[in-house]
Amino acid sequence: MSVRTLFIGMDGATFTVLDDLVRPGEGGPVMPFLARIFAEGTRCRLRSTPNPLTPPAWVSLMTGRTPGHHGVFDFIRAEEQGEDVYFTLYDSRDCRVETIWSIAGRQQRRVAALNFPFTAPPPKDLNGFMVPGFVPWRHLRRNSAPPDLYDRLKAIPDFNPKELAWDFEQEKQAMEELSSEDRENWVRYHLPREQQWFRIADHLAREEAPDLMAVMFDGVDKLQHQAWLYIDPNQQKGELSDYHRRMRDLCLQYFRQLDGFIERLVAAAGPQAQVFLASDHGFTGTTEVVRINSWLHEKGYLRWREVPDTDQGRRREDSMFAYLDWKNTIAYCRTPSSNGINIRVARQPGETGIAPADYETVRTRLIRDLEALTDPVTGERIITEVHRREDVFPGEAMHDAPDLLLVLRDFGFVSIKNKLPVVEPRAQVAGTHHPDGVFLAYGPGISKGAKIARRKIADVGATLLYSLGLDVPADLEGAVPKAMFTTEHLHEHPVVEGAPTKGASAGSQAAGMAPEEKEQIMAQLQMLGYME
Amino acid sequence: MDRFIEDSTLKTVCAIVEDLIQDWGLDLEAPVGAATLLVADLDFASVDVIQLCVALEQSYERKLNFQDLLMRDGSYVSDLSLAQVAAHVESRLQQQPRNP
Repeated sequence: MSVRTLFIGMDGATFTVLDDLVRPGEGGPVMPFLARIFAEGTRCRLRSTPNPLTPPAWVSLMTGRTPGHHGVFDFIRAEEQGEDVYFTLYDSRDCRVETIWSIAGRQQRRVAALNFPFTAPPPKDLNGFMVPGFVPWRHLRRNSAPPDLYDRLKAIPDFNPKELAWDFEQEKQAMEELSSEDRENWVRYHLPREQQWFRIADHLAREEAPDLMAVMFDGVDKLQHQAWLYIDPNQQKGELSDYHRRMRDLCLQYFRQLDGFIERLVAAAGPQAQVFLASDHGFTGTTEVVRINSWLHEKGYLRWREVPDTDQGRRREDSMFAYLDWKNTIAYCRTPSSNGINIRVARQPGETGIAPADYETVRTRLIRDLEALTDPVTGERIITEVHRREDVFPGEAMHDAPDLLLVLRDFGFVSIKNKLPVVEPRAQVAGTHHPDGVFLAYGPGISKGAKIARRKIADVGATLLYSLGLDVPADLEGAVPKAMFTTEHLHEHPVVEGAPTKGASAGSQAAGMAPEEKEQIMAQLQMLGYME
Repeated sequence: MDRFIEDSTLKTVCAIVEDLIQDWGLDLEAPVGAATLLVADLDFASVDVIQLCVALEQSYERKLNFQDLLMRDGSYVSDLSLAQVAAHVESRLQQQPRNP
């Protein structure tokens, strides 16, 4: 038994940073093993989902399908119910299509999937091992599979579930005011976390040798959100403060550690394993805040609800949720991470919103207005792209997507706060998602030193199935990048289109979320840079 | 018969809750039972309530519409006993078919 395919996910990894870290600097590159993968493997940019966001993008990678088909669009799923918006968290049951874990598992390939979002609760038919990401430590046991896995993990030296899982409380406290010290602690917090995930992956690779060994390191994204200024090579010029240098050293320590994990996992997988690395999206800097609900208010599409001058009212005003007068609101943004606008259509008698017959007219007017939002100095459009959902999210789940998807000129996420001005420069540059992530391959059968044309994120799922020696299901939207493999390998292992996937579901069954939990999740999103 | 189903539902709810909290290091004054309160006795946060709802829906393989239990008169309830949870599950089991 040996690992056939090793997949390492690096949430938010970008060549902007990685190319800098593999460069031979003073004392050698920060990531020498990655430098070797660059030199001896194949690389390309990887185009993320239309909204380059962790939930839709990782689910696309894990299914080989686009969000319009898999149905996961955001961290939070919202439904209008009467005079309020009912929020629930997306979970694995919201995914409408089969994942590569199931496709491989039902064809006698054992898999291990560690720290991937939206894998909780785990599938009942899992053939292998799963420890989900984005789950608090108190719920890791029942969301890990098989049922005895959690007790086995406890036998790994220094296993600490509190260190491994998301610490909601720490993130909530840290977001209240991100002082220099908080930011430094935030980076430090991810060093032992990633070590915990590495230890589990190393243990399973050596003890169980699953056919597909997959682990995701999400600290890359979390560090880049809060510490982009210290990581982006373009920000390391001029006179740097002691704090800046200390933060950069700390961030480099994180990447150095990650490089060591990659090297050791490749060694644990063995020389026969094909190795793939990918990110769900890239990263860049955002320089301004765009308060989209305030803009919608200015344009008459949205009206804020009056907040009473009481303690409760003031708390409500400070809350991160839009407090809207629904009778007079026809378009609004629900969550910053959606980067979308929902148009309210009155479909049943008594519902507020526009008449269905007016939908196209209102949407066209809204698009025109969004296109006219420009920088008063340069005349440049603030929102460079406005997409209709049928253009970017076609599929049976399209109706769960926002009516319009926005791309800001600096790729930032919108703010939904009731605050002015609509567009305001940030005090300092912050990290945000870029649509281009990374895709790398290394090992037997992989073209050496090749840089191939950009691929799309759904291709990763197809590639992993191919590497496992499986047919690529006919309904996968992703395709195998043949240029990534040697001619000999392709000759011996031709890419074969096979039977379509199985097990589509109708989507969510999730329970609702209490107000304090909405706040908690929004606090985490703020910590990750999705919130103003 | 109804009494029997109700007892069995309560047993399932208690078993799931016991499974959920086994690693939490709680110092319980009484065994988990009908009168146990999620927040006051078991230190549940809202994310734990969500996880319990998911576990119950998985166990019964159907949607159990927990918003009807969690929200009353437009506000979220502050605490729930396991008897209340079981009663809600029970009423849903009688109303809803199993997911296909």
